[in-house]
Amino acid sequence: MSDSQLLRGTALRRRSFDRFISVLCLVAGVIALLPLAAVIAFLLIEGLKAWSPAFLVERPGSVVGPGGGAVHAIIGTFLMTGLALVIATPAALAVAVYVVEYRESRLAVVVRSAVDLLAGVPSIVVGIIVYALVVLTMKHFSGFAGSLALAIIMLPIIARTSEEMLKIVPRRLREGTMALGMARWRALGFVFIPTVASGILTGILLAVSRAIGETAPLLFTSLGSNFVQTDFSQPMSALPVYIFQNAINIGFPAAKERAWAGALTLVTIVLVLNLLGRWLASRAAVRGAN
Amino acid sequence: MKAETTSLPPAGMQRLRRRRVAGIGDPILGWAVRILSVGALLAVVVMIVQTAVDASTLFRHVGPLQFLFGNRWEPSNTIYGALPFIYGTVVTSVLALIFAVPLSIGVALLIMEYLPRGVAGPVAVAVDLLAAVPSIVYGFWGILYLVPDPRPIEQAVAASPLGVIPIFAGPAPGPSYLVAALVLTIMILPIITAVSREAIAATPRLQREGIMALGATHWEQIRHVILPFARGGIFAGAVLGLSRAIGETIAVLFVIGNAPHLAASIFSPGYTLPSVIASEFREANQPFHIEALIALGVILFVLSFGVNLTARVIIGRFERRAGGADVR
Repeated sequence: MSDSQLLRGTALRRRSFDRFISVLCLVAGVIALLPLAAVIAFLLIEGLKAWSPAFLVERPGSVVGPGGGAVHAIIGTFLMTGLALVIATPAALAVAVYVVEYRESRLAVVVRSAVDLLAGVPSIVVGIIVYALVVLTMKHFSGFAGSLALAIIMLPIIARTSEEMLKIVPRRLREGTMALGMARWRALGFVFIPTVASGILTGILLAVSRAIGETAPLLFTSLGSNFVQTDFSQPMSALPVYIFQNAINIGFPAAKERAWAGALTLVTIVLVLNLLGRWLASRAAVRGAN
Repeated sequence: MKAETTSLPPAGMQRLRRRRVAGIGDPILGWAVRILSVGALLAVVVMIVQTAVDASTLFRHVGPLQFLFGNRWEPSNTIYGALPFIYGTVVTSVLALIFAVPLSIGVALLIMEYLPRGVAGPVAVAVDLLAAVPSIVYGFWGILYLVPDPRPIEQAVAASPLGVIPIFAGPAPGPSYLVAALVLTIMILPIITAVSREAIAATPRLQREGIMALGATHWEQIRHVILPFARGGIFAGAVLGLSRAIGETIAVLFVIGNAPHLAASIFSPGYTLPSVIASEFREANQPFHIEALIALGVILFVLSFGVNLTARVIIGRFERRAGGADVR
């Protein structure tokens, strides 16, 4: 940047161009928020029309006919996401601890890269892999396979947030535990992890909110089902899969309505989890600053 | 001399003993963490190897090059060519990137530079929430509104003199590369915005104040200080967005029209790698059909891996440079 560049042009021209850019940015903001507003508006208008409390508790009817609830899909979503959480959280925490606390190990670098690699794998590919590993081996689709796919999707998210959190454990605290001669596991379990627990919880909530909305990896792992299923060895339905099945039969008005009702339910769950996670994170940030 | 040989007081003994218990705890922690981590690592390796092996059985039927560059996909005739899907994936995600990057920079600047703090926070959260909406919801919304609504505009463009250019050629039946790119734009915008915002926030204060002191306008500050500094970050965000766009499945599946062919026009229906896998996998009953779909998955994996690797290298370089240049 040269001086002449700055001084060239009249002050008026420079100022009006400045104004022009700020308007352009405002327009970009409006365009970006438009789809969010549209999706939310249509969800509320169409979704509320089709939604009723019965939707949450009734068993499904036929695909083409009217009525029918999504209780099987809601139960399936919570069961599969729950199991995925149980699988993913310990592994993710272990990876984070390994990467941060055992930094000197070369293997830690490899593990970290592998988890990063996992974060970049498209969810549909995760679905294929679990299909090849679990579904082909067990010879049938199952809720367990679905959970495993979701766990693989959650693992890198939780691992990365926990890693970031463990890294920001204040140095004073670290030195304090060392000065006290605390064992590593004691320092971790009683000082470091509790200090950043809300941050880790944020990561877990964000991972759950991501996994709960995933359709692609479930299509050929848990497959979907028309029954209330609590047996993990059998095919299970989930809300995204339920919406998918109804949305591809969009020609039938009843199916379209059910898809809207399902979408409203799903988005509500996802947004609540997401906002909860953010709120926790902001609280953690404030506490960390003090 | 005598004092040194006296035994430790009882309290000191106890402390020593406790330290020995701790000495057992640490190796347990170390090994548990190591085993779980290596388990995760092994899982990744097994996943990659298994998938590659599954895909390679396809090559008993069709040569790798023939598969990669074949432009016909007819499972009923056991003809498998991946080119239409690779083409569709590249076209939709690159188009989405072209739409999303300028928008994201605008939104990031709006949030960081123009809006008062009280408004900027909620706007930033709202943009982030765009990323939280599940792709199935975008797909469903897309097929109901995004496919039919822009269609008159598409048809008008195809009918106008612009329609002579192959990329704008008609007919415009509704589902198309363009609509898929629009949905992808909405989905990757929050990622690029978030990364760009961080990059903008990292601009050194001293230089920003310096150029203001020289009498620069706000735009000149952005143009000559902020953007040069944030360039690396914005680029990294764009690449991350690209990798997300490449892997997006369900939303694209609903709006792209599922036509396995090569078409120059962005108004033409097409297909992408993830969407063909999602729609054909369950009904695949032809010989080598499943293997061909898994092989498409491998191509997809390699594509997104390459993009992610590029992003990582760029982010690393950017961080190093920002770290060196940061004078505060």
